[in-house]
Amino acid sequence: MTAVHEIAIEACEPTPQDVAAGADFSVKVRIACPAGCDLSGVAVIVTAPDGGVASVAHDERVDAPEGRDIRNITLTAPRHVGEYVWHLTVAEHEVAGARHRVGTLDVPVKARPPHETSLAVWAIPSPVVTGQRFALKVGAKSAAGCALKGQRIEIRDERGVTMASGSLGDSPWPGTSALYWVELELPAPGEPGMFSWSVKFDPADLEFPHEGAAARFSIAIVRPPEHRLTVKVIEQTTAAPIQDAQVRLGAYRAATAPSGLAEIMMPKGTYDLAVWKAGYEAPVTSVAIDADVTVEIAVAALPEENPDAAWQM
Amino acid sequence: MGKDGTDRDRASTQAVSRRTFLSTGAAGAAAIAGAGAQQAAAQAPIKWDRSADVVVIGAGVAGLPAAIAARDLGASVIIVEENYDIGGRGILSGGRVHLGGGHALQQKAGIKDSPDQVFLDWVRFDTADARYSDRDLVRVFADENVPTFNFLVENGVKFIDRPIGPERASTVPRTFLTQEWPIASELIAPGRGRNGSGLVRQLAVAARQKGAEILLQHEMKTIIRDRTAPGKVLGITVSHQGTMMNIEARRGIVIATGGHTGNVNFRRIFDPRLTEEYQQACQPYVYQDADGELAAMDIGASLWATANQTAEAGSAITKTRHIGCRWGYATLVYQPESPMFHLAKATGLTVGDWQNLIFVNQHGRRFWNEVDGSYKFFSAAMGYNGDTAKLNGGGPIWAIFDADAAAREKWTPSPPSVDPDGFFFTADTIGELAGKIANPYQKKPMSGAALQETVDRYNGFVAAGVDQDFKKPTPMYKIATPPFYAAWSTPILHDTLTGLRTNTNTEVVDIRGEVIPGLYCAGESQGGFAQHGLARCLVFGRVAGRHAAQRTA
Repeated sequence: MTAVHEIAIEACEPTPQDVAAGADFSVKVRIACPAGCDLSGVAVIVTAPDGGVASVAHDERVDAPEGRDIRNITLTAPRHVGEYVWHLTVAEHEVAGARHRVGTLDVPVKARPPHETSLAVWAIPSPVVTGQRFALKVGAKSAAGCALKGQRIEIRDERGVTMASGSLGDSPWPGTSALYWVELELPAPGEPGMFSWSVKFDPADLEFPHEGAAARFSIAIVRPPEHRLTVKVIEQTTAAPIQDAQVRLGAYRAATAPSGLAEIMMPKGTYDLAVWKAGYEAPVTSVAIDADVTVEIAVAALPEENPDAAWQM
Repeated sequence: MGKDGTDRDRASTQAVSRRTFLSTGAAGAAAIAGAGAQQAAAQAPIKWDRSADVVVIGAGVAGLPAAIAARDLGASVIIVEENYDIGGRGILSGGRVHLGGGHALQQKAGIKDSPDQVFLDWVRFDTADARYSDRDLVRVFADENVPTFNFLVENGVKFIDRPIGPERASTVPRTFLTQEWPIASELIAPGRGRNGSGLVRQLAVAARQKGAEILLQHEMKTIIRDRTAPGKVLGITVSHQGTMMNIEARRGIVIATGGHTGNVNFRRIFDPRLTEEYQQACQPYVYQDADGELAAMDIGASLWATANQTAEAGSAITKTRHIGCRWGYATLVYQPESPMFHLAKATGLTVGDWQNLIFVNQHGRRFWNEVDGSYKFFSAAMGYNGDTAKLNGGGPIWAIFDADAAAREKWTPSPPSVDPDGFFFTADTIGELAGKIANPYQKKPMSGAALQETVDRYNGFVAAGVDQDFKKPTPMYKIATPPFYAAWSTPILHDTLTGLRTNTNTEVVDIRGEVIPGLYCAGESQGGFAQHGLARCLVFGRVAGRHAAQRTA
């Protein structure tokens, strides 16, 4: 009477929980007969998630003392994100006069997106007057440099309401390698304040799956202007006008012209006026805006921070 | 004392190699192993390959005047210099000579000064520049200011007669610049205001004309001391292109090796925060490896006035101003025409306005107001950043900026301005930028999410006009327009402000307070006087050479 042996097929080490979609991965399995039969000539049948079948012959055994029982099997994940199962089977067969029953092992794997994406948001005007429409630019980048043209991108407010959306353009932003971008126009909130909105990007239908990305950006929303503030910036000892000084009053900003003058339209209120130019210092000045106002700010030249740096040939 | 242009970022091994040499024996009697191995046995004759009355170690701002002063008194002089050329850090300095006391140029400019005023200024208690100095040394310095200025003029050094100052502890203008050396091919950083070239080149000319012999690429390894009382130093061992030789110093040896700033192990004696990520100004031309200090301490020398090193005054630690390259010291740029450029690799991007960037640590987090350049900034940059595998030092600091900042600064963020081999990175998004940062000192990858969060938060401060985290005065510019950049901006170390103990003759004193006969020290390796720059090196170099020449052989 022919002996019947059970075939044991098991993973030698934990199989990967998830792999990148489209990527190769390997599993190492041990095939064993409890009676010690030599199974080195026995093939492992691999049934892929799509039904494809392949046979892994013994020439792919591991070069190890116990190698006659261990196989390295290379598998390829589908290109689409999802959960899949590979079925490994040792068919019923006879070896050394014994009948060996079918042995099976399932290998479940999650195919995850292979490429990350990241975002940039720029050219946001600041400040923006309540209720006005404004534009900004949004770009998305595939870590692998894949073309993202046509992919949809959304801007949402703090409640998650979509405020604008659009499709990425055909070519990358100048100076970047693959930042696909779009300019979007959207309405400002009706109340003044600082707002933090989000950008949402969920790429789809690309040749290779991509993970989505999110980003946040801040916008300063202000009341409509009522008066003109004129700031003149001069050097305190010479009274010479200072060009390209940055004038800031909270969210309001302007740069001085060669005349040392900067103009900002602002609503009524009291503001701290700060002036910045590298190499100079100026006190912060409180300014009350209840009509058109002109302010002169005297800045003092600072000594160089390093003694060697003071001398320019 | 400089090195021959190789990357020597392994300072802590120097002492080891020196001791290895001693224990393996390579130079006759100089190679007696064990404690006190540098002390020659009285009965063991030493085979001297060369001999001079005075041997000066280092052909820089202290060594050259020491050699000239010794020759002026008739002593024969050999200078050994480990670099391929003379000058040390002086050749890369601004040439700012801070000598006062009422010398001719001060008088011409109508500046009233005196040796007593120099002394009183530099022993002031109200400034850390002067507070911790040895007043006996300051007194000598003050009295020797005018003679040293005259000495420089007599030896052909040319000055620009425009006074600068008062600087630091000084109460009257005392700084005058030397003129840049006129031969471009003999400059290390040509055309960049490195006027110290005119000082050291001219002093080297004068030294040679007066008969001093300068041996380039000769690296001092040990100082040989007689083991019999009173233990006079006898000479030095030197390595030259792989060959060891002994040089006898019949009257004296002057250590003018230039300080310890580049030696990680040594500098951490004074400040344990100064771990390996902090680069040394004037590398790769000059490597301040503490070789003079170590050789002297091997035969018993003491350190002195060590508080000066950590007094948080002056330029011991400086803000990197040329970002995106490894060595971005405030005023030093190696341009492509520099003979050092193949090692420096980039000029760096010179920051005109610190508002154009933010600084983040290796975790992608801001740590301080970027426009600050004080020791508060350095303390924050070197603060513990949460890395449990590296408790000392603050890790790399990166400047993060965008395309708009580059345009405002008129930067070209590509080679030769930047070094993309670990010190400058470009990306299309902030998140991607963090992932690209790879550098030998960046021990852990920077999180893209963390850097994005930092930039988003900062951009919010810009929109609101208030930096809620670090009170940067009215943060001006968002970091928003792609592409984005990360540039090496880790603080860079400059002045050595402590060193070997000497008496007022610059004779080195041992740890028991006794003079080591025949051994002198001047320059940045000398402790006791923390004044920044060239003047103390010139003054005490001259004092050392003069005194050594007058010793009995």
